[in-house]
Amino acid sequence: MGLKIISLMKQVPLPTEMRMGADGLMDRTKAKSIINNDCSFGLEQGLQIKKYVPDVELIVVSMGPPSFEQSMKKALAMGYDRAILLSDRKLGGSDTFATGYAISSLIKKLGFDKSGKNPFIIFSGRQTTDGDTAHVPSQTAENLGIPQATFVEKVEFQSDHLKVRRIIEGGYQVLRLPIPCLISIAPTATPARRPSLEGAIRARNTKMEVWTLDQTGADASVVGLNGSPTLVSKVVDIQKDRPPVNMITGPTNKDLAEGLVAEIEKIKDQIAGGHTQVLTKDEKQEVAEAKTDSGFPKVDFRQGAYGVMTWVEMHGQKPSRSSLEILSQARKLADQLSTKVISIMVGHNIKSVAQEIIAYGADEAVVVDDPRLKEYTTLPTAAAIGQYIEKNRPEIALFGATTSGRELAPRLASRVRAGVTADCTSLEVGEYVHRMKKTVFYPVLQSIRPTYGESKLATIIGFWCPQMATARPGTFKIPKRDSNRKGTVTEFKPVFKDSDFVVEVVETKREEGGADNLFVADIVISGGRPAGEHDDLKLIKELTQALQDQGINADWGASRHAVDNGYAPYGRQVGQTGKTIRPKVYVAVAISGAIQHLAGMKESGKIIAINQDPQAPIFRHADFGIVRDYQEVLPELIGKVKAGFTFGLNPSK
Amino acid sequence: MTKSGFIETDILVIGGGVAGLSFAIHIADLVEKHNQGLSNKLPLNVLLLEKGASLGSHSLSGAVVNPSTIKELLPEIAEKDLPFDSPVTKDEFYHLLPQHAIRMPFTPPFMGNRGNFVASIGKITRFLGEIAEKKGVQVYPGFSVDELLYENGQVVGAKTIDTGVDKHGKPMENFQPGTKVLAKLVILAEGPRGSLSTKFIRKHELVKNNPQVYSTGVKELWDVPEGTFQAGRVIHTLGFPFEFNHFGGGFIYGMNSRQVAVGIAAALDYKDPTFNPHAAFQLYKKHPFVAKILEKGRILKYGAKTIPEGGFYSLPQLYHDHVMIVGDSAGFLSMPSLKGIHLAIESGMLAAQTAFEALQKNDFSKGQLQSYEDRYQKSSGYKNLYRVRNFRAGFQYGMILGAFHFAWQIVTGGRGIAPSGKMRLHEDASCYQKLPDVKNPFLTKFKKELNFDKKLTFDKVTDVFYSGSKHDEEQPCHCRVLDFDLCRDICIPKYGGPCQHFCPAEVYEIVTDPKTGKKDLHLHPANCVHCKTCDINDPFGNIEWAVPYGGDGPEYENL
Repeated sequence: MGLKIISLMKQVPLPTEMRMGADGLMDRTKAKSIINNDCSFGLEQGLQIKKYVPDVELIVVSMGPPSFEQSMKKALAMGYDRAILLSDRKLGGSDTFATGYAISSLIKKLGFDKSGKNPFIIFSGRQTTDGDTAHVPSQTAENLGIPQATFVEKVEFQSDHLKVRRIIEGGYQVLRLPIPCLISIAPTATPARRPSLEGAIRARNTKMEVWTLDQTGADASVVGLNGSPTLVSKVVDIQKDRPPVNMITGPTNKDLAEGLVAEIEKIKDQIAGGHTQVLTKDEKQEVAEAKTDSGFPKVDFRQGAYGVMTWVEMHGQKPSRSSLEILSQARKLADQLSTKVISIMVGHNIKSVAQEIIAYGADEAVVVDDPRLKEYTTLPTAAAIGQYIEKNRPEIALFGATTSGRELAPRLASRVRAGVTADCTSLEVGEYVHRMKKTVFYPVLQSIRPTYGESKLATIIGFWCPQMATARPGTFKIPKRDSNRKGTVTEFKPVFKDSDFVVEVVETKREEGGADNLFVADIVISGGRPAGEHDDLKLIKELTQALQDQGINADWGASRHAVDNGYAPYGRQVGQTGKTIRPKVYVAVAISGAIQHLAGMKESGKIIAINQDPQAPIFRHADFGIVRDYQEVLPELIGKVKAGFTFGLNPSK
Repeated sequence: MTKSGFIETDILVIGGGVAGLSFAIHIADLVEKHNQGLSNKLPLNVLLLEKGASLGSHSLSGAVVNPSTIKELLPEIAEKDLPFDSPVTKDEFYHLLPQHAIRMPFTPPFMGNRGNFVASIGKITRFLGEIAEKKGVQVYPGFSVDELLYENGQVVGAKTIDTGVDKHGKPMENFQPGTKVLAKLVILAEGPRGSLSTKFIRKHELVKNNPQVYSTGVKELWDVPEGTFQAGRVIHTLGFPFEFNHFGGGFIYGMNSRQVAVGIAAALDYKDPTFNPHAAFQLYKKHPFVAKILEKGRILKYGAKTIPEGGFYSLPQLYHDHVMIVGDSAGFLSMPSLKGIHLAIESGMLAAQTAFEALQKNDFSKGQLQSYEDRYQKSSGYKNLYRVRNFRAGFQYGMILGAFHFAWQIVTGGRGIAPSGKMRLHEDASCYQKLPDVKNPFLTKFKKELNFDKKLTFDKVTDVFYSGSKHDEEQPCHCRVLDFDLCRDICIPKYGGPCQHFCPAEVYEIVTDPKTGKKDLHLHPANCVHCKTCDINDPFGNIEWAVPYGGDGPEYENL
């Protein structure tokens, strides 16, 4: 049987039309809908395989209401051969765990399993705009028992395997995967093609196949609201507190520089005071949460589960920054729950790091050491941690929401039957009043995360242990290092199978040296491609240097375009595929403000944009704007800095 | 479907506006009627392609509609079920002085609106689209056609645009070749200044008497407080902000749901290269008479489109081998009332009757299709156009002279002063004066007035936002400047780059290098609202408007 491509696709409401029903779940009935952005990249990647295998059959698979037909037809028009929709009322309210299970049941029923008897590749988008979890691809792969690569931006088909380029923090990794496998595609890959007229006519004449849950043979108790290990306990609106841009105008460059200095002077205290709170909560809607005096009995659902586990992501022999960040939250939660912090690290020759992790707040460091674990890959890491969880039953498990954490955690969750919350910005211990069960669950991990395109803040809880969450990098402070802290170091020896090592790391490119300071710098000056073209970012670096000379913790970054064109190393890239930073002051120089870049800096304290083009989107996200060629303004600003102007910042001690 | 990349149909309609849809509905009716009781039925293979993302998304008109022909097209539908907004209840005519409005005691001839309806052409288009689909027409919005296919010098079909092409025309990884549609008959229904129609008319030298001349219409839809402006109230204005030597006027139409359509139409045969239809419209809204209506309201939508107003003598030959031209692409528009919808419907129906005959005989040669013109000459639209055949030409030297001409034309049954009975018209773009020769140019005269408060008046870019226009950035520029040296070296010094002024969507920007002081043209094709003014009005014919990817462009909804 020839190769088949299965593309997972979701239809989502237009971002401008997202609204929520009274139950805190997305109301999909009224909104205009489109193919989820990332999914369109996945669909395209499937079509790209046709270049290598002309007779490949392309199947688009989705799960949702019959109204998804519109997007399924579009996929057919793009060139897909079959469209299969899993549509069943029983699936309503499914979380990612349940969705991954249901979709994999359908795929199995279609005759595709890990045996590879029927060779297939599953493509999906990285994540959806209405869920933002990036969980379903990993959880589908886990349920099927096939290897995966997520956050992929390039795919090469090589007869019996795939070579893919996957985004990792500060760089990329090239992986070699056997077939069958699942690949989730990042929105930096090839954009979706337009449907052809011929394709649109064919699509109109092709019937979408609709499957019910029963037809897939799936267990109905594992899907829907009741089968889902997580639930949304509360949703509040987030309002952006950034007022409209204040455009600095004036006839000469000197006027512009002086104008900016004067404006900054006015808000000096606000800037120096620290990270401005950009997100404010508008307590508009409270769902299913009630006050403590409900009178219901308190129930502890943990059934002996104990300890807050964290995963230490290893970059060779070094723990990743995000792994240290989550330790502050682990410590806080463990103290509140009177339990211990257990950090598990998987790698090779990493024992020396164990002590370091204890210095940052862990009580116990669990080391999994194996020469085959030199580089992180999903399968053996999931095998090791999965076995540890099953044996030791922690009540909470935390991961950094890096590209690796965001694929590992959901894969593990499906393996150990737990719920996981993605990309959290706040983690608290609380209680949950279950009116139907007339009980108060306590203690419950409240995982709080922005969602619906950062417009809402949702609190997610679950009653299955471990309660898992990934934490957004850059959100939490690294705890203070205390080299006198005492803790235990234990070794854990999982049982690996050969099939855990089928994915080969061909190349890892990670540039971090020095650029980590971007995370802690008070002011970051970033240049776009034009600034690279004109003077190799010279003025950007000069301004940074001038600020450093004043004792300010300043650093410089670059846009993706500037990095792609070789003007700056990857480690300095600010944006979705680079670093997410939130300095007190961010200066965007000759950067247009593509969404990709905004994702990496929009939560900075004050944003100053300098761009020739008054229509550049960056101005819609800035506090101060200067419309002028940066080559004219920056020398003036450098002069001001040399004369003592520090953008309202105080010298770092 | 024969092989990959090709599809076949009998009739291909290019353009899903009122004319194209009327053609499709009428031929479906004719075939259906013919087939009744027959065992050897005539198949209906009509494919209609529209470049807008959905039907109506690129349709823009005033609009006050004469309902006569839509009733003929849809005899089965009662008047009350037609997609009109409100019957015209009040029909007023004003002359605007800079600060005052003088009500004319009577409505000029041919401009009365008794029995007409205020309507949204977007709604009419969607309504017709649904009917066409029900009747078996294959309707596909979201597909741009950028090429007519020829074989042995004859049109054999058309091709949709290739997509996944970068700015330099190089295919990218997501390249998707266009689809070739082979058809026995192609109906050009692209609207005013259709990109294929214009080329087709040139190629086959179909211009008969005068060239086509145009106005650019600029329009906004507003939401005003209840009771501000009654639905069905229709106001037309002359005068401000137009100079006496410039043909143009304004309109304000009251609609249901508190909506008011307001706009101007500015003839493109003006002399002052700094004239700016968008700015003129902002001035119009600032006029106390208009501002009073809008001051407590808010803008809903913005759009712009050209209007072919040459009339009778500007109509080209309407047919050729395997091709017929309908609606605005041919120039079916009745002056002075500036109404084209009813004529577009009629031309579609006449072409459908012709096509039906051709279909039966399986003969689509020009000899067979010539009967389209014979039908037209017997139609009510013909009589309508003939009586005012010299109207627009009479106004090419301005309003005062125009009024004299018009009066004389009425007396002479339309002939006017022309001994032959036929007045000449000049191409719009040939009318510019050199910038230094223009006394008190528009830009200088109104310099102080042209500041926009973003409540009543808007800069172009803000208005473009309200047009809902979107374009894929990754495609060849569809507003093609043929020779940039000509812009820099001749057009900018001589005329000051009129494109930056006439474009109502800021596609064209003249940028001055702060160091050298040199001026250059920058393009922002993603702003384009598909009005085609640039294709018409560049002084050197140096801009060619081509279709971008299907689905790109404005989202007019109900303009």
